[in-house]
Amino acid sequence: MRRHTSLLNTWLQENNELVNKWKRDGGGDIERRDRNPIHLRRCCSEFHKLYRKMQGIPPLADHAYLELFVVYNACVCATAQSQFREVELLLKQALQRALQIAEDNSDPPLFWRGVLKSVRNTALNPCVLYLLCLQWAIWLATCQLETILELKEELSSLCETLCGGVGNDTKIGAMPSENPLLVTDPRRLVELLRICTCIVQSAERLSEGQSSETLADLQSASSLPAPRTLVAYVHFLSGYCLVHMRRPHMALQCYRKALEIDFYCVCALYQSMLIYRQLGNVQAEIQALRLLHSSLMLPSAPDPILPDTHPLYPSLLLCSQSLRNLLSIPSALSVLHTLALKCLRNGRVSEGVEHYLDLLAVLRSEDPDGIRVHADAAPLSRLPEIYLEAGVALLMASRPEDCMVVCDEVISTTLELLPERLVLEEPEDRSKADPRDVSSEGEDKMAMLLWVGAAYLLQGHCHLYLKDWKQAVTHYSRCINLLVKVQYKKKGCQPQIPTSNMVVKQDTNLCILQRLKGLSLAGRGVSFAQTDQLREALRDLLLGLQALPECVGAGLWCGEVLWRLGRRQEAAACWEKTWTLTTQSSVENLPVYLQESQSGPSLDSADLRRKVQELALN
Amino acid sequence: VMEGRCAVETWAEFGFSGSSCTAKIKSGRVKINPSLRYVDLLQAILQLPGPVTDLVESHDKQFLYVSCTEGVYCVSKPSVLSSSSGDASLAPAELKISSECLVVGEEGVLSLLLLGSVLLLLSQRDTFWILSLYKTTKQAHCGSYEKVSAFSLPAVSAVVQGDTEGRTGVRRRPVLICVHSGDTNASYSSCTSLSEAISSDTHFCLEPLLFKLLFGIDAALAKLPVILCGLPDGRLCFLPMHLPGSRLRVLHSLEQTVMFVGASVVMEMGAGHSQCLVALGEQGRLVLIKTVSGGAEEGCYTAGFIEGCVPGPVVCGLLDKQHLYYSTGADLLSLYLPAGLSWTEDQDRDEETSSKTLAVVQSVSSLNVCRVIALAAPAHRSASDVELLGLSVRGQIQRISFPVETEDTGVPKLPSIHVGCSVRDLLSSIGDVCERASELKAAIKSKNQILKRLNQVLNISFLLIPSANTEEHLSVSEKQIKCSAMIEWSRLLQRDSLNLMCVLHNSSPYTFEQGWTLSITVFPFPHSLTNAGGENSSTSFSFPFHDLQPGETLEVSLPLAAAGDTSFPMRVSCSLIFSLSSLLGEEAALHFSASQSSFISLPLNTLTVDWLHALRLNSPNKKNATSQSNSIPAECIQAFLRSHRTHGCVGRAGAGGESASKAEQERYSASVRVSSHLLRDTLVLKCSDSDPQGPKVAPQNLCLSLLHWLWSEGAGGVMMGHQREKMALSHSVINARGPNGDIVKLTAKEVKSTGKEESLSAIEVRIESSSLAAVCGLHHAVLPRMLLSIIMQLYVFSFLLSCQRLLQEIRQSRLSGAFDVGVSTGQMTRSLLNVYTELRENPLLII
Repeated sequence: MRRHTSLLNTWLQENNELVNKWKRDGGGDIERRDRNPIHLRRCCSEFHKLYRKMQGIPPLADHAYLELFVVYNACVCATAQSQFREVELLLKQALQRALQIAEDNSDPPLFWRGVLKSVRNTALNPCVLYLLCLQWAIWLATCQLETILELKEELSSLCETLCGGVGNDTKIGAMPSENPLLVTDPRRLVELLRICTCIVQSAERLSEGQSSETLADLQSASSLPAPRTLVAYVHFLSGYCLVHMRRPHMALQCYRKALEIDFYCVCALYQSMLIYRQLGNVQAEIQALRLLHSSLMLPSAPDPILPDTHPLYPSLLLCSQSLRNLLSIPSALSVLHTLALKCLRNGRVSEGVEHYLDLLAVLRSEDPDGIRVHADAAPLSRLPEIYLEAGVALLMASRPEDCMVVCDEVISTTLELLPERLVLEEPEDRSKADPRDVSSEGEDKMAMLLWVGAAYLLQGHCHLYLKDWKQAVTHYSRCINLLVKVQYKKKGCQPQIPTSNMVVKQDTNLCILQRLKGLSLAGRGVSFAQTDQLREALRDLLLGLQALPECVGAGLWCGEVLWRLGRRQEAAACWEKTWTLTTQSSVENLPVYLQESQSGPSLDSADLRRKVQELALN
Repeated sequence: VMEGRCAVETWAEFGFSGSSCTAKIKSGRVKINPSLRYVDLLQAILQLPGPVTDLVESHDKQFLYVSCTEGVYCVSKPSVLSSSSGDASLAPAELKISSECLVVGEEGVLSLLLLGSVLLLLSQRDTFWILSLYKTTKQAHCGSYEKVSAFSLPAVSAVVQGDTEGRTGVRRRPVLICVHSGDTNASYSSCTSLSEAISSDTHFCLEPLLFKLLFGIDAALAKLPVILCGLPDGRLCFLPMHLPGSRLRVLHSLEQTVMFVGASVVMEMGAGHSQCLVALGEQGRLVLIKTVSGGAEEGCYTAGFIEGCVPGPVVCGLLDKQHLYYSTGADLLSLYLPAGLSWTEDQDRDEETSSKTLAVVQSVSSLNVCRVIALAAPAHRSASDVELLGLSVRGQIQRISFPVETEDTGVPKLPSIHVGCSVRDLLSSIGDVCERASELKAAIKSKNQILKRLNQVLNISFLLIPSANTEEHLSVSEKQIKCSAMIEWSRLLQRDSLNLMCVLHNSSPYTFEQGWTLSITVFPFPHSLTNAGGENSSTSFSFPFHDLQPGETLEVSLPLAAAGDTSFPMRVSCSLIFSLSSLLGEEAALHFSASQSSFISLPLNTLTVDWLHALRLNSPNKKNATSQSNSIPAECIQAFLRSHRTHGCVGRAGAGGESASKAEQERYSASVRVSSHLLRDTLVLKCSDSDPQGPKVAPQNLCLSLLHWLWSEGAGGVMMGHQREKMALSHSVINARGPNGDIVKLTAKEVKSTGKEESLSAIEVRIESSSLAAVCGLHHAVLPRMLLSIIMQLYVFSFLLSCQRLLQEIRQSRLSGAFDVGVSTGQMTRSLLNVYTELRENPLLII
């Protein structure tokens, strides 16, 4: 570009020099001009030469003015020599150039419109239309939807001409021997372009939130001839529209249709699963997840082969980012994880355990089939959490030994990295960061500490289940010892051991910490109670209740211990208080391994109530 | 510390240095693949369609993956070996790998890594580094592999990268290795393949704690392998494999092109897992990554990055348990790693890198092996010796072995056997250095030689190139380098021929060395009417010569004309030609002057051989001696025929000449008259040394000496033959034969010239012959000699000019005849005769 401008400057200089020379030599002087025709002729030819030089570069607006000035100069000289024919020719050329410049800057739609108008009703028309098809494909592939919209009418008439007109077809086919062959049938191309355009436009509009208008377009598009993948996309997008219009059941119908047409349209399955989740239909959701996972484990979908080996495949044309977002699905691993967790949370323990074991196996295998992931796929939750969930699942499925092995693995991996002391600071207002980002080292350390704590807790639960009270006490103690390393620091205060009243809802780390503390103290209390160390048991249960007041098990066992200690009034009060507790919804959001274990020694509630009643009667 | 006890043994050698490095692959082009991994004995040579960037071998050693510019090729080793096993003793077979073997069609692949059944490719496209994962299959040729996933990282256009790549134009190969967590247990699915893989230098087992610290809990928990790549922009990036949502992350930046990444055990205390990750940059920046216990109060570990600097530039590297070996191209260096580690543990962290750098530098020791561009550890190693495999620049695979370095490097106490061994090693390394030095010396010497010779050539050129200021004064005789000639008739195989013996005199102070050629071109006079293209009939002779010392002469002899050839006078042009190819060698000269010719041509002088030179004396005894049974009748018949023709055609018209009437045959004649006074002075001047009579020379003697002088004295730089000089002339008449056999008579007699003033005594030289050509040619030969040697410095009568004009006219008419410009033969003959008549009427008189 710099060179270009410098070239422009050179020409400008040359022109000015010529003019100056002309003036200096008295070219403008009337008396002398007659006497100096040679000078005039030389000047004229110099201007001509300069003009010819300038024509060497393509016509551009930024130097057009100079070109026209030079033409003016040359014409003046030539006219003075009475070379009228030459002047006329020069003017004509210059005008053509100017016209070219003016047209060059016009935008492509106008250009095409002009071309189409000029070739209409000529033999060239079909050929130009074919070329327009390709232009369309390029606009589509580069997501220039505005341009396509602008030329909407021309494009639709193009479709009509190419697809509808039978007479046109015969006209082209009249001389098959003389017609050059085409790589691909333009009619197929137009069909493909139409449906792809529709899909991309709908996706764009959906991302802008215009559902109802889009739906109409999509419904009209569903009748277009197209490869099945694309038809499935159309149905999928219709379903998506319906979801936004709050008609989930109709949306499900659309998704079903999409899947019927093309089983590889996995995104429809995924979206159906989301709808079931929204509707609270757990069984259907689990079913959908299972299907989704198995379809993801299939070999990847082959690119749809078009009838006449079309070189332009749909994925080339469907490159809109919003469409890609709509079609995106999580990786097979995270689907499997969701499935396993869902099963676990909804009482399908044995199924959940199977899924968790599958998940762990895939993670550890080298098989690339299991890890077919897109680089931009949503990250899986942290692996230690998955391990702990798997541990809980195993415990719930009455496999405490396996649970302990899994927990051991978490502990052995993490323990070395744990700090001696950790200060948990009051969180500042900040957007929730990606947990995988190495945000602050302290936070990562905190997470690790909590994982190890949870692992110890689970191991304690396992020993409790196995009625190995001593080991249970050991593991619960480990958990407690670990947790007291954490100090909580409020702004402007000294770090201190956190207490339950400090728990703020949004700070999950602190919440988890307190919950772990409460659960482990309660567990140790229960263990002590089983070994008849009632004093220690009472202390731990009370401390546990202090840390986690809503812990039902701790409350019940606290009452039991008090009862055994002969403090029956207190015991009854404790029980009464516990029964009034309602399980809060926040438990749902907590990791599954932080929920109260049901596997330990339990107290019969009816028995307790009878006791209370007896006490009241007494 | 000099540890120069290193033995180098060459195992295999490639034909040319542009070959790739494993003994099995040779890249077709110039690019050198700087990785050296699997070395067997040379078994086969594979020819790939493009420059090779990297290659890996599959874990079961069945396949070889080779990355080229077009993509990755998969070569099945058994098939290669079976096809080449037929002649194992001979040179290894060369196999062309076709595009059928292309399994991944991805452009710009720079590095490869094989992890289980996943093939990883690292390529640079536009502004991104792209790590692609492909699933391999067991079948060798099954089309392209399936792409599993791809990860990208924006490239950094760092200054470091810019200048190295800009300068060399070669794309650096990024380093790609795989790191496994150390506590691999049996649960790992492909344990066997892993343990095999770990032995190679692209897979490392890292101590679990360090692994966790560097790559996170998740990777450690699932025992996932981690891909570590060192990019040319200096970044060390890692990617945990098989983990959804993971992406390439930067571990560290070396700020210079990463040349080597490896892991080392360093301390012998763990379970054999590497405890230290080592990265080495091109300019010698070294980073050791190891676990650091983070102080007493915190009590937890962190990953420590210990930076240092070693003397660069680093070409390649290799780690063993405690040493880092790296090559700078000029030397192979060994670095004792624990020294670098222990230092930082002892010292405070506050002190800055300068002293730390120093500490690392000090522990570097040289092994005295130069020109190594790739290093590999051999498959088997002995306990006492360290053994390395190196690839040299010249394409040799070398086994480099040296004893294990002991901890106390201060005083090496070696047993006598080892001393002898080390002396041998030293000698061999000295030999290596000596070989290199002598090579360099020879190169310098030859360049000096060339310069010296070029100087000589230049001096000679300046002597010969006619420059405006010096050459005007120098006549031919004063030239320091000139050519003279001698002419002689010789008879060979019954054919007479005129030989020219050319002599090149070198009286300059310079020597002609190699590369000189004396070129002699003979231009015959465009004489014959039938021979229209006279100019083209020149013949060139070239005589290469060398070593012509000052004062020496070079004699060459060449056939000038055969008997019967009358294209006299001949112009003999001599020139000296120097060719650059003799100086620089053939191909160098070709490169040097592809556009212009590699020859320098310097013109010397030009000689003229005229009729007088070509005359043969017609002595009677000679006639008898040479008379053969068939030659005399032939001559007679020729004479007869000629006389007949003369009668018929030009007889009447050509009847002229004062002595023509008495001859029975028509004869032509021409004469030149010289004032005897003038002649006497000149001839006396010329022959004063040879002639004892001196000043009083009788007129008869004068005629005789004039003829003698004409006969035997050279002119135009051409001397007469020896036999002519010896010949004594008894009469003032010479009967001779021209080159075409015409009888010519030269007479000298004293005549009284009756000029306009008083009568002058003059000597008339008369040329008579029946052949017009002979008369003209001789006349033309005699006149310039007279003019040149006698008259030039005196005075010339006005009619001499008219005589010149007449001569000019003769020439003109002959030339016009030769060029056939519309002059009929009759017309030409008439004009010639007119001239002759004029000549007869105004006999030439030189006073």
